[in-house]
Amino acid sequence: MNRKKLRDRLLLALTFALMMAALATVFLYAPTEKHTGVIQRIFYFHVPVAWVAFLAYFITFIGSILYLSKRKARWDALAAASAEVGVLFTTLVLITGPIWARPVWGIWWTWDARLTTSLVLWLIYIAYLLVRRFAGEPGRGARLAAVVGIAGFIDVPLVFITVNLWRTQHPTTIIFEGGLTGSMLVTLLVCLVAFTLLYILLVRQATGLKMLETEIKNIKRMREE
Amino acid sequence: MLARVWAIYRKDLLQELRTKETVVAVLVFALLVLVIFSFAVGDNIAADAAPGILWVALSFGGVIGLNRTFAVEKENARLEGLMLCPVDRAVIYWGKLAGSFTFMLVLAVVITPVFLALFNLPVFLPRLALIIVLAVLGFASVGTLFAALAVNTRARDIMLPILFLPVVAPVIIAAVKATAPVLAAAPWGELATWLEILIAFDVIFLVVGTLVFEFVIEE
Amino acid sequence: MENLGYLLAAFAVIWAAVFGYVLFMQRKQHRLEREIDLLRESLDKSREK
Repeated sequence: MNRKKLRDRLLLALTFALMMAALATVFLYAPTEKHTGVIQRIFYFHVPVAWVAFLAYFITFIGSILYLSKRKARWDALAAASAEVGVLFTTLVLITGPIWARPVWGIWWTWDARLTTSLVLWLIYIAYLLVRRFAGEPGRGARLAAVVGIAGFIDVPLVFITVNLWRTQHPTTIIFEGGLTGSMLVTLLVCLVAFTLLYILLVRQATGLKMLETEIKNIKRMREE
Repeated sequence: MLARVWAIYRKDLLQELRTKETVVAVLVFALLVLVIFSFAVGDNIAADAAPGILWVALSFGGVIGLNRTFAVEKENARLEGLMLCPVDRAVIYWGKLAGSFTFMLVLAVVITPVFLALFNLPVFLPRLALIIVLAVLGFASVGTLFAALAVNTRARDIMLPILFLPVVAPVIIAAVKATAPVLAAAPWGELATWLEILIAFDVIFLVVGTLVFEFVIEE
Repeated sequence: MENLGYLLAAFAVIWAAVFGYVLFMQRKQHRLEREIDLLRESLDKSREK
């Protein structure tokens, strides 16, 4: 097996192992929360998924900057792949949030600061993906999307701060009372690492795919000439 | 360099003044938004929702207007002409920005008094003017960048709102939250944080726009 | 153990989404690899001529 395949297999194995560890800690190790019960365990997946989505957008930001300065296809491929995975994970945040909120507070949606920021981010990066799709040629799409990737990410802290201020005027839902006990923290960390590895796995695959697509488009264009 | 910015701005301004079609159409649209939202929101809530209704009208009208001012066919030809000159791309950004800002400011200046009258609010509100200037600057900084971007895509009419609205969400939230105390004649303290957000947004996106605009109009 | 159904739903959604995405990528990969093979074949053929 060549080096790249070995690395890929290793990453897959590691990710799988950590996902299993995550499942074990979430269901066997973590304590049951007093007030809300079993449903609280969603927290251990909901939060890491949100953090990883944020990481994904950060990588898109870096990829966009690198693409605009160096114009190498792989930076654009990385930015696009990371945005795709980011949108996927943000969608999960937006779905697991309500699934958690419904039994606990009886409502599907809450304009909680983090959930609302996730919603706005979701919309921004969907726009990013749409720009890629609706641009004239692929080169233009990459360039325009890179601009969106940069502007969008810089907007993130502004959105979060503004929404936070907006919502602290209406203190409604508290995630749960009390801080995190030691075992809860450990569980959260294990899940965070597991999902970060999953992110790396998915983005590597997706980036490779995008590079393949670009290569095919180039070959086709060369053939026409 | 300032002279070049002014030159671009003046050309756009004269062009718009000659036909006036875009401005009038957008004004009518914004007015319609005001009215329809008032119907939709209903009697009891309307007073509380008033600031929101104003800013929805201004943001939607602004977006539609931005779309129109950049979508002219001549626009692309003119942009290409500008690009041939050895002009710093940022200059083009600021020239266009001045145009967008003026446009949306005119929109606000016309729509706001109508809004205040419709909701039986006091008409002389200098603090509201401040909020409007800051918010419109935020809209213009992002809008100019994204309008030039959207024009280069296939679905340009719908791409601009999709790009613009989520990114200016902080401006809309801050503007609405700042307008409410002004309408209620509350002290400055209630406004302060929101004004800070607007100023921060403006500064940040003016800088980002200046740096990044060249990549949008490349080619 | 109330709300176990909701807990399960949340985990299932996450799993389904990730799995679905992986599947989607695998299919795309196969399609693209096939396309590259076809392109290479036609390039070789045109070169032979």
